Amino acid sequence: MNEIYVVLLGTLLLSAPLILAAMGGLASERSGVINIGLEGKMLVACVITALVSQRTGNAYFGVSAGISASIIMSLVHFLLTQSFRIDHIVSGMAVNALAFGLSNFVDRRFISREGSSRFPHLAENLYLAIALLAPVVAWIFLEKTRGGLRLRAVGEDPNKSRQMGLSPVVIRFKALVMTGVCCGIAGALIVSSAGSFVDQMTAGRGFIALAALILGGWRPIPALLACLVFGFFDALQIQLQGTELAGAKLPPEFWKALPYIATLGAMAGLLGKNRAPSGLGKA
Amino acid sequence: MPPALKMDGISRRFGAVQALDKVDFSVEKGEIHALVGENGAGKTTLMRILYGSEIADSGVIELEGNAVQFHMAADGIAAGIGMVSQHYSIIPELSCLENLMLGAEPAWLIQKDEAKVRADSLAVQMNFAFDWDQHAEHLSPSGAQKLEILKLLWRNARIMVLDEPTAMLSPSDSDALFASLKLLAQSGATVIVVTHRIPEVLEHCDRVTVLRGGKVVQALPVAGSTASQLAELIIGKTVDLTPRTASTKFGSVTLSCENLTVKGYRGDQAVKNVSFLVRSGEILGIAGVDGSGQRELFWSLIGRLKRESGSIEFNGKEIAKNSVAERLEMGFRLIPEDRHGEGVVDEWPLEENAAIGLQRQPSLCNGLWIDQANRKEMATSMVARFDTKHGGLEKPISGLSGGNQQRFVAARALSTEPKVILAFQPARGLDIEATRQVYEAIGLECVKGACAIVVSYDLDELLDNCDRVVAMNRGKLFEPTIGLERDRKTIGELMVASE
Amino acid sequence: MILRRENLQTWKVAGLCISAIALLFLLILGAGASPMEAAVKLWDSAFGNPLKFSNTLKETTPLLLAGLAVYIALKAGLFNIGVEGQITIGALCTAVVALRFPGILGIVLGSLAGMAGGALWALPAGWLKAYRGGHEVISTIMLNNIASGLTLALVAGPLKDPSQEGTTTRDLAGNTLLPNIIDSNKWQLNLALPIAIALLVLFSIWLKKSVAGYELRMVGANPQASEFAGIDVKKSIMKAMLASGAVAGFTGAVLVLAFEHRFFHGMSSGFGFDALGVAMLAGATPLAMLGSGLLFGVLNKGSSAIQILGIPKGITWIVLALLIIVFAAIRYRKEGSHE
Repeated sequence: MNEIYVVLLGTLLLSAPLILAAMGGLASERSGVINIGLEGKMLVACVITALVSQRTGNAYFGVSAGISASIIMSLVHFLLTQSFRIDHIVSGMAVNALAFGLSNFVDRRFISREGSSRFPHLAENLYLAIALLAPVVAWIFLEKTRGGLRLRAVGEDPNKSRQMGLSPVVIRFKALVMTGVCCGIAGALIVSSAGSFVDQMTAGRGFIALAALILGGWRPIPALLACLVFGFFDALQIQLQGTELAGAKLPPEFWKALPYIATLGAMAGLLGKNRAPSGLGKA
Repeated sequence: MPPALKMDGISRRFGAVQALDKVDFSVEKGEIHALVGENGAGKTTLMRILYGSEIADSGVIELEGNAVQFHMAADGIAAGIGMVSQHYSIIPELSCLENLMLGAEPAWLIQKDEAKVRADSLAVQMNFAFDWDQHAEHLSPSGAQKLEILKLLWRNARIMVLDEPTAMLSPSDSDALFASLKLLAQSGATVIVVTHRIPEVLEHCDRVTVLRGGKVVQALPVAGSTASQLAELIIGKTVDLTPRTASTKFGSVTLSCENLTVKGYRGDQAVKNVSFLVRSGEILGIAGVDGSGQRELFWSLIGRLKRESGSIEFNGKEIAKNSVAERLEMGFRLIPEDRHGEGVVDEWPLEENAAIGLQRQPSLCNGLWIDQANRKEMATSMVARFDTKHGGLEKPISGLSGGNQQRFVAARALSTEPKVILAFQPARGLDIEATRQVYEAIGLECVKGACAIVVSYDLDELLDNCDRVVAMNRGKLFEPTIGLERDRKTIGELMVASE
Repeated sequence: MILRRENLQTWKVAGLCISAIALLFLLILGAGASPMEAAVKLWDSAFGNPLKFSNTLKETTPLLLAGLAVYIALKAGLFNIGVEGQITIGALCTAVVALRFPGILGIVLGSLAGMAGGALWALPAGWLKAYRGGHEVISTIMLNNIASGLTLALVAGPLKDPSQEGTTTRDLAGNTLLPNIIDSNKWQLNLALPIAIALLVLFSIWLKKSVAGYELRMVGANPQASEFAGIDVKKSIMKAMLASGAVAGFTGAVLVLAFEHRFFHGMSSGFGFDALGVAMLAGATPLAMLGSGLLFGVLNKGSSAIQILGIPKGITWIVLALLIIVFAAIRYRKEGSHE
């Protein structure tokens, strides 16, 4: 019984950052901006949350600063794709690289290593509540509101939307700010559950979140489910480490690779056909 | 009373091209006003400036006597100007209701039921009916056109601009459209129709403004003017409007299809049991509204789409299994529908574009390597053929205007002794003179033994230039009875007949 | 005065360049070092003496090959973010084969195994793109992570050198290595560099002058037009991806045979991004990769040197990111914003 409880709680804890990042990706991709830069935005939020929490001794300041930093990275992404019209993939790669560099730089130069590297953080339950609520809010927004309709329209066809008097640039700006907020919270969660900043500590979660988004067909609730499944396997993996399955010992890497393999399967059409927003990557 | 719309001294320059030169344009309330001119005369630019999606370098716009300034489409919409562009601004992935509301939703929370009530009342007013929850991708061209008109009403547009509204409609759908527009004009709306089809102007419009080379030539009432008078104003010189005389001397059957069925991208049968034949020396026109299966038929003829059943024979040999490359080698040549997407590489120089589709022709390669000298020579003759205006063969083709790109693509398809010419809207973006040249050149290749199949949404263009015209309608091909191969009424009916 | 769109774009790009440089200065100053000093240190660490220069060339060699791998795919319109995974798999295959067959045979078979491994790892991405419409960036990111997990599992398990703590294979035998063609106490130059340069030159000629090269470029520039021009786009995508994967696999082989002499976990990390940078900076002329490869080599090499000044290693990532951004922005401006 106890083991089941541990796995279930682990599932929630491990999937929460994925869900938040996936919702960030949702905002961006439904508006037509391909986002492989989720990883970088979270990473910057991690380091800034750690730094400011440590320096001010106040978790709220820390998390706000982390979210702001993630928003700034997201706006860099906005500038590159919308103002400089750089290819969305290249922009995303550049944002990630910039984030790897900046987080390493900030960590080495400014985070104090003297004494305890601990810093105050917010309750995990708060993060869990936000993560579980976010997809529901996203769904209501997309399907039931004016802003959601416009976001979808711009993501499907920016040129026609412009003809209808919408401004794709303004809508994408707002969407990317939202992406920044979501990734910021995800980053704050990751760094506070780890206790201190480590280089590249997001460890590919941005890509797993993107995978979940694709698996979920760019829809909030299915994406949430995909994140939960990934989180479940991750939790199970930790629980099962060392135990034998069907007589053979599976290396932990197998479980870690599972989300990636599942995504490839989904892309091959094994899990049904999903349609990406038509305006993805278009100016 | 001041006119509903008055544009004074509008000028707009794009790089070296003066697209509009001090244009004065005025429209009275309640009239249907035609804006005519050749491609590139500046019609679309003028209307984009009116709508706010393009900004004039100089000039004033007045609506009912009040000066206005627009910086973006949203400004024009707010001032009561509505625009239906030639390619429609309906987003297929959204529902009809969402399309109707987009950009003009009543409140931040979308209340579907309330919206549907208003939508239905607008539809009733125009005698239309819509399934509002349906995805817009299922709309026919005329259905989409109707939705566009309702979108204008939803936004309370007072001035409605329709850019080439009948370009993709059958003759009977066009008549129905103009009947709706008359209804709107009578209720006090002002309608501007941008068109290049003279008969439409004469039959349905009240006044007409003629643009040529970015300048207004004349604005005149339609009553009392004639087709040849308007044509002369549009082109600037007397033109011969007599159609090409149909040839009757044909050789043997070059291309034939038997019960050809092709699946479209949505999985439905886009081409159903089509049979026809073309003889050497013959130009066959295929009429029909957009989406009747012409695209899929062409794609399967060139080998881009696999057939589901039936046969395609070339000189008596079954070729349905041959690839595009093999058919190109046999002498199939294509003037594609969407030259930008299917015919050229924008950023490549003209010289490299000259070899697209011909790259494996023996004249253009030495074994595995490109014969660059020959390619250059060929590109030179291609640009010369229809007077393509360009800034050098080494410059990217994207620098050319649409009309010049079309000239180049047409010349390329006709350059290496084609056997089967597949031309999809070969006159797209061309002026009257160049259209004649291209059809003449196709005719010339046919005299040398080739055959041609031409698809166009403009029935008159086909009647004027083809030896025989058939119609496609919902995937099926209908041939007029012998003796009526160029009869406008017969073919117009075949285009829309239900079964 | 009305700002015309073209002018505006030029100003924006100029602003971007200035901000990029300003950011770098600020970071270096923020680290308590002087930018001048850092530049001198960087230059010295890369070109200061023959040995240092030899080491820079050594750093550059795999970058040239990995850049070529990305470039091949890029010309077909594909972003092969997966070179990292393909290098990893290629390197592991090479190590396994070369450990089994010592000597020249091991070098040849090892290289072939590396190429096969890389191509194999690119295959799913090519197939998904060509026949399932799956975006290659997503699939290759997934494949990178799977490759990393798979090789870690192998090198932590059955292939592990039992005498070592870390996750690594045994070292190759001394006669199974790609030799240095110059090997004095001043200069060192491995055979791999001329091979890489030769590959680049051959590819460059092929791309420009051959019909197949022309077709590859057409597929990348306009796949739809290519279909109508008689090119089987699906097959072309498969071929380009396989070729790209094979070159990436060969990069892995070179890493093992010429430089590392073994396979260990994490040996190819960061290559994916660097290779993309090398290829992108080269633009339309593949030979320009000689320059961009060297630049990235210098930056990678120099990053450890400037750490002595108190500048964290992360600065190289920042420089690379800024370089890519600035070049991409300039390219867009040049190609013009028609429409």
